[in-house]
Amino acid sequence: MAYIKESAQGDILSGFGQGSQADDNLFDENTILVQRTLRSGQSVRYSGNVVILGDVNPGAEVTATGNIIVMGALRGVVHAGANGDETTVVMAFRLNPTQLRIANHITRPPDNEKVDMDLPEIARIKDGVVTIEAFQTGGERQGKAI
Amino acid sequence: MGEVIVITSGKGGVGKTTTTANIGTGLAAMGYKVALLDTDIGLRNLDVVLGLENRIVYDIVDVTSGNCRLKQALIKDKRLEGLHLLPAAQTKDKTAVSPEQMCQLCEDLKSDFDFVIIDCPAGIEQGFRNAIAGADKAVVVTTPEVSAVRDADRIIGLLEAADLREPKLIINRIRPKMVRQGDMMGIEDIIDILAVDLLGVIPEDEMIVITTNRGEPVVTDQNTRAGQAYQNIVRRVAGDEVPMMNLDEETGFFKKLKKIIGLK
Repeated sequence: MAYIKESAQGDILSGFGQGSQADDNLFDENTILVQRTLRSGQSVRYSGNVVILGDVNPGAEVTATGNIIVMGALRGVVHAGANGDETTVVMAFRLNPTQLRIANHITRPPDNEKVDMDLPEIARIKDGVVTIEAFQTGGERQGKAI
Repeated sequence: MGEVIVITSGKGGVGKTTTTANIGTGLAAMGYKVALLDTDIGLRNLDVVLGLENRIVYDIVDVTSGNCRLKQALIKDKRLEGLHLLPAAQTKDKTAVSPEQMCQLCEDLKSDFDFVIIDCPAGIEQGFRNAIAGADKAVVVTTPEVSAVRDADRIIGLLEAADLREPKLIINRIRPKMVRQGDMMGIEDIIDILAVDLLGVIPEDEMIVITTNRGEPVVTDQNTRAGQAYQNIVRRVAGDEVPMMNLDEETGFFKKLKKIIGLK
């Protein structure tokens, strides 16, 4: 597992985890931990899963071939399953993205509504549509294990 | 064949982006086909001011580097049919685009649009050189402060050196009351120093902050003074002769009455 801590890194982090896709959609070997808040103009690209211990602000971008988990507020642009994997998910403590992409689906929040959910939410593709629902622990209730 | 106009200032925070958004929106409302081009790569704002941030998929760098076609990157405005935005990239920097590429881009846009309006970044470095590379005309924005006027003077010099002659001037955020009291530079003082044609004057108006935060350019609200000022500028850009707005606020009985019944 790759690991990135706050450091003199540039604005763009990118890399490739090693190890192949274990079984089905589980990228157990290549997950990157980004231990900082991503601000406007900063981006993370990674071949694998991305976990962010911090916020993703508007203007920041996270692109991953696997799942994206934000342990904070997600307000920027995220792209999970960038290689076309529709089984990937995006999860955040506060899911308010500018734009949310999973595989080749692109979604954005509606123009005239402001929904401010105060709970963790998860976005995934269900029946060909990106669906957002409250995150509840327990594999069965999520429809599948992540 | 359209016209490419660059909105520039030298100094930051004088209202280039607000002006770009308002002139573009105003021209589109008059029925022209308008493309707005944000060249402030790395510090993009025009998309936010127009309320189009969440529609961005491709940006100017994707176009110039051949990642996508120009048509794919142009975002349609949500209110006006003829208004389109080509957003800047946020995760790159100014060197991601070259002046030659900008020239080519402006040529391509010119054939499809009546007006191409370029939002220039602050400063006089590569971002500025990119922004002016493909422009036919220039508009310089300044505020009535010595520092902003000094920078505007420098910019006008650089524009002339780049063969963009006779730039037009917009004086933003003027407060007629302070000018009358002698606490702020007046329009004549500024023209005196810069010696260029005046395109318009925009009075300080709280509505600018409100409309900008909402992502709706103030020019759409003709009940505001700034909205009226921008509308006049838009008509002058389109070629109409419009007299300068009287900036002295009305203080008569009707004004007070209007204020009481909420007409402003």
